[in-house]
Amino acid sequence: MSLIDRLRGNESDEGATTNLPSRALLWLIASFALLLSPQWDRLPLWLIAACAVLAAWRWLAQYGRVRLPGRLLRTGIMLILIGVYVATVQGRFTVDTAASFFVLAVGLKWLETRSVRDFYVLFFILIYLASVNFLFHQEILWALVNFTGIALLLVGLQVLNAPDLPGGMTSGWRRLGGMFLKTLPIVVLLFVFFPRMSPLWSVPLVSGEARTGISDTMRPGDISSLAQSSERAFRVTFGGEMPAYRDRYWRGLILDYLDGETWRQGQREGFRPLGRVAVDGGIGELEPNQYDVLLEPTDQRWAFALENSRAVSDNVFEDSADLFRFRRPADSPVGYRLAVEGEVSSVQEQSSAELRRYLQLPREGNPRARELALELRRSMADEQIIRSLLERFREQEYFYTLRPPAMPDDGIDSLLFDEKRGFCAHYAGATTFVLRAAGIPSRVVVGYQGGESGAGGDYLIVRQYDAHAWVEAYIEGRGWVRIDPTAAIAPDRIESGLRDAVAEEGSFLEDNWASPQRYADVALVQWASLQLDRINYQWQRWVVGYQGQSQMDLMSRLPGGFGMRELGYMTAGIVGVGLLIAGLISAFQMRRGERRDAFRRVVDTWHRLCASAGVPVRHGETPSVLASRLAKAEPAAADSARLFARMVNSHYYSAVQDEDGGEQLRRMRRLLGTMKRQLRKRQLRRSRTRTGKSSD
Amino acid sequence: MKNPFRNRFSRWINRRIPRSDLQIFSQKNIFILPTGAGVVFGLLLVIMLLTGINYQNSLIYLSTFLLGAVFVGAMHQTHRNLSGLELTLVHPGEGYAGDDIPFRFRLKAGRDDAIAILLSCEESGLAPVHLHSGQAQDVTLPVHSAHRGYLRPDRVRIETRFPFGLLKAWSWVRPVSAGVVFPRPVPAPEAFSTVEDGEESAEARSVEGNDHADIRPWREGDLSQRVLWKRYARTGQMVVADWEGEQGGPYWLDFNAYPGADHELRLSYLAYLVNERGRSGVRFGLNLPGQIIEPDSGPAHAARCLRVLATWGEERPRDAMAEPHGTRKKERETTSEWVAEGQA
Repeated sequence: MSLIDRLRGNESDEGATTNLPSRALLWLIASFALLLSPQWDRLPLWLIAACAVLAAWRWLAQYGRVRLPGRLLRTGIMLILIGVYVATVQGRFTVDTAASFFVLAVGLKWLETRSVRDFYVLFFILIYLASVNFLFHQEILWALVNFTGIALLLVGLQVLNAPDLPGGMTSGWRRLGGMFLKTLPIVVLLFVFFPRMSPLWSVPLVSGEARTGISDTMRPGDISSLAQSSERAFRVTFGGEMPAYRDRYWRGLILDYLDGETWRQGQREGFRPLGRVAVDGGIGELEPNQYDVLLEPTDQRWAFALENSRAVSDNVFEDSADLFRFRRPADSPVGYRLAVEGEVSSVQEQSSAELRRYLQLPREGNPRARELALELRRSMADEQIIRSLLERFREQEYFYTLRPPAMPDDGIDSLLFDEKRGFCAHYAGATTFVLRAAGIPSRVVVGYQGGESGAGGDYLIVRQYDAHAWVEAYIEGRGWVRIDPTAAIAPDRIESGLRDAVAEEGSFLEDNWASPQRYADVALVQWASLQLDRINYQWQRWVVGYQGQSQMDLMSRLPGGFGMRELGYMTAGIVGVGLLIAGLISAFQMRRGERRDAFRRVVDTWHRLCASAGVPVRHGETPSVLASRLAKAEPAAADSARLFARMVNSHYYSAVQDEDGGEQLRRMRRLLGTMKRQLRKRQLRRSRTRTGKSSD
Repeated sequence: MKNPFRNRFSRWINRRIPRSDLQIFSQKNIFILPTGAGVVFGLLLVIMLLTGINYQNSLIYLSTFLLGAVFVGAMHQTHRNLSGLELTLVHPGEGYAGDDIPFRFRLKAGRDDAIAILLSCEESGLAPVHLHSGQAQDVTLPVHSAHRGYLRPDRVRIETRFPFGLLKAWSWVRPVSAGVVFPRPVPAPEAFSTVEDGEESAEARSVEGNDHADIRPWREGDLSQRVLWKRYARTGQMVVADWEGEQGGPYWLDFNAYPGADHELRLSYLAYLVNERGRSGVRFGLNLPGQIIEPDSGPAHAARCLRVLATWGEERPRDAMAEPHGTRKKERETTSEWVAEGQA
């Protein structure tokens, strides 16, 4: 090969596109777009744009509009993009950044997708991308998107392997669908019985993403901003009756340290070793007093619980202040189970030393509130102070509003005495301040209050706008008592929710145009959104949440002790039996297929006939040779045998003809019949002569 | 080190796939293994399973199982794609040595569609063929020939990787029938026979032409009649007399016209001349040691001559296991039964 040739060959290698069929490539790109979509909210914008450009480049190159970049340009693009990536990541290593690096790698791969081998590399990467997507999104719609993406890839592979097959796309889908339906039972069985082992090593799913939700500090405006979000916080199923709306106080965490304007947790939560397993809550039957919570990921360890609850599932434990904590941050949806104890029989007395921290206040600020507290203290006992404070809220012109005015200096003073407009966080903070100033141990509790019924009314959806803050005060002899100033100011908020409480103001979700909850007065929107939520809830509970504990719960209902080991055997058995059944079916089909070949059967019959006439088929014998031998042995059948041989030959050697195949077969069968009669006549005659001879 | 194993494998294959012009592919003779991509796919599934275990993610489990099932499904699909397919060698081709000899095969799909079927023999291969169930199609596979004679490809490979390319199912057909490879034509030098045709003159010459005979040492392939036995008795040397112009002349193409040339080269010369004469339409005959073709003209005659040149001194390949189409294992069993009965 001359140098020029070689150069040219190289060039075509580098620049021009390749022998990859366009339609296969189209499927691959479509799948890439689809599999990227679940990540749209966590990927940086530049990365999505880069991926789109790179894939489009590859697509245009397929049609020769542009050339694929040479090695130099390719390396340049790669270095630039990786540089941008490193700059944006800034050394954080989380699953998020790993996932975006993965996406970046896929994007860059487009520029060097030239051969079938590259196609397969992309196929594998994209399949794995689908799995990565499952780490972040497990809702049913996203799952469908992912599975559709995988299906597109598999159709693309079929197109790649038979690019010029007419109607290849439809047959590809049909083939894939058939395969899916046939293997579905095995897949379901495997899903149920495959032993859910505990993780082999601990990989925290740290996500850099900011989650919507309550936080462990509370500034006066915080919760009102949360009220603009209709994202789901958690869903609850009750074993018995749902508690009344006003009793749905979901305690999350306690803020007992006032730092200027900000409420914080006074004590760091004690160190607990990170649990290795995000144990699920189990799926067993709910007792009447139990309830299941399915919490959306918060990346925190807080679990939300009704008052007087007790942990049932293993993945939560009770904290000192009747709060519940996970053994592992909720980095993916977590289900847990709690039970409500009836009345608390014995009050946990707390020593004054323990209570002292619930009296902490900043050294100065808000003088008028302090004065009010002292005034109340002077004339009243603890419980009376609380009552009169709530009465003050109820009787004076306090407003519950999502648009509180700015109160920069001495916020509590101006809330209580001047503006008198605020949100739950304002009032809870102010109440705690006054109570503490009056010498009553008290604390701010943050969590959620309320929750609407899901479709069918069998579970509760608690959303971010249900976030709430209230107060607990310690009263001698009664322990910690819940005090909710919001209930005094805006009873609607506690009785029926935020929507009604701010109905007059019209500020419900006013910043959140896209939320379906905003349009809840449109019945259809409400219905559709609730139905979707219900499907998702069932999906999350039964499919996504089907993990170790759930599996054990389910297995414990089966007869015989089903442990991990039995599950292992079971899985092996399912795989074995599945393969066996598939093998048997295909063998059976094969057998039937053979029997069905009519032509073959006719030729077989002829061979048997020949053999019975004393002319067995020899190896390597053509039909005509066999026919002539038969003719020699049995002259009576000579003509029909020759004709038959000619027909066999014409079947094999003539041009492809399918239409008259049936007619020919009929003729051959008739000929066989004739031959048989001729031969039988001969044999009869012969046997007659033979018997005649023997009788002689 | 590898060879004994390979030989053994190849013998095993040959036992499994007897020579036959017709092969129906079934479980008995289809081999199936994952391709490189299939192996990587398997590894990917393992990695996905590990990811599912470590992140306790049910949906990753589910997709792993789904893809695993797809792999097993693909195994059946790929196998079924080939099984039931009939491959018949319809016409073994003819051609000149060194060229690709076209072998016509007929592919007939069985009950299932046969998609993306690849037929290949050694280096040469065909574009994928797609057949719907029951359909038949003729394809021509070029088989490379090295030298003249009978050409019977040891194995013709049939393969499919459809639908996903993760698995390949393949088999072989080992044809009984052989193609014919003509000697590669080589421009012949002027033969030094000058005599025109005419039986009587040739006869006369052979009688009286002893004087003009070229004497040369005996070589393998020389007819014993030509050996000068008298001389042998005298001197003990085997010499052959090449009578100038014996059966030579423009109408006789003579193997012996090129003394000193290698046999194969002589055949190549003759093939060249046959082509030339065949084109010009003159009558000519062919004289080969042990085989004489009477003078005639026309393309059929030329083809016949070429075939004779191709197969001169070659033995037609026969295989003990050979089976023509129309016979199958079952028949052999029945016939052997019959034989047994007859012997009894």
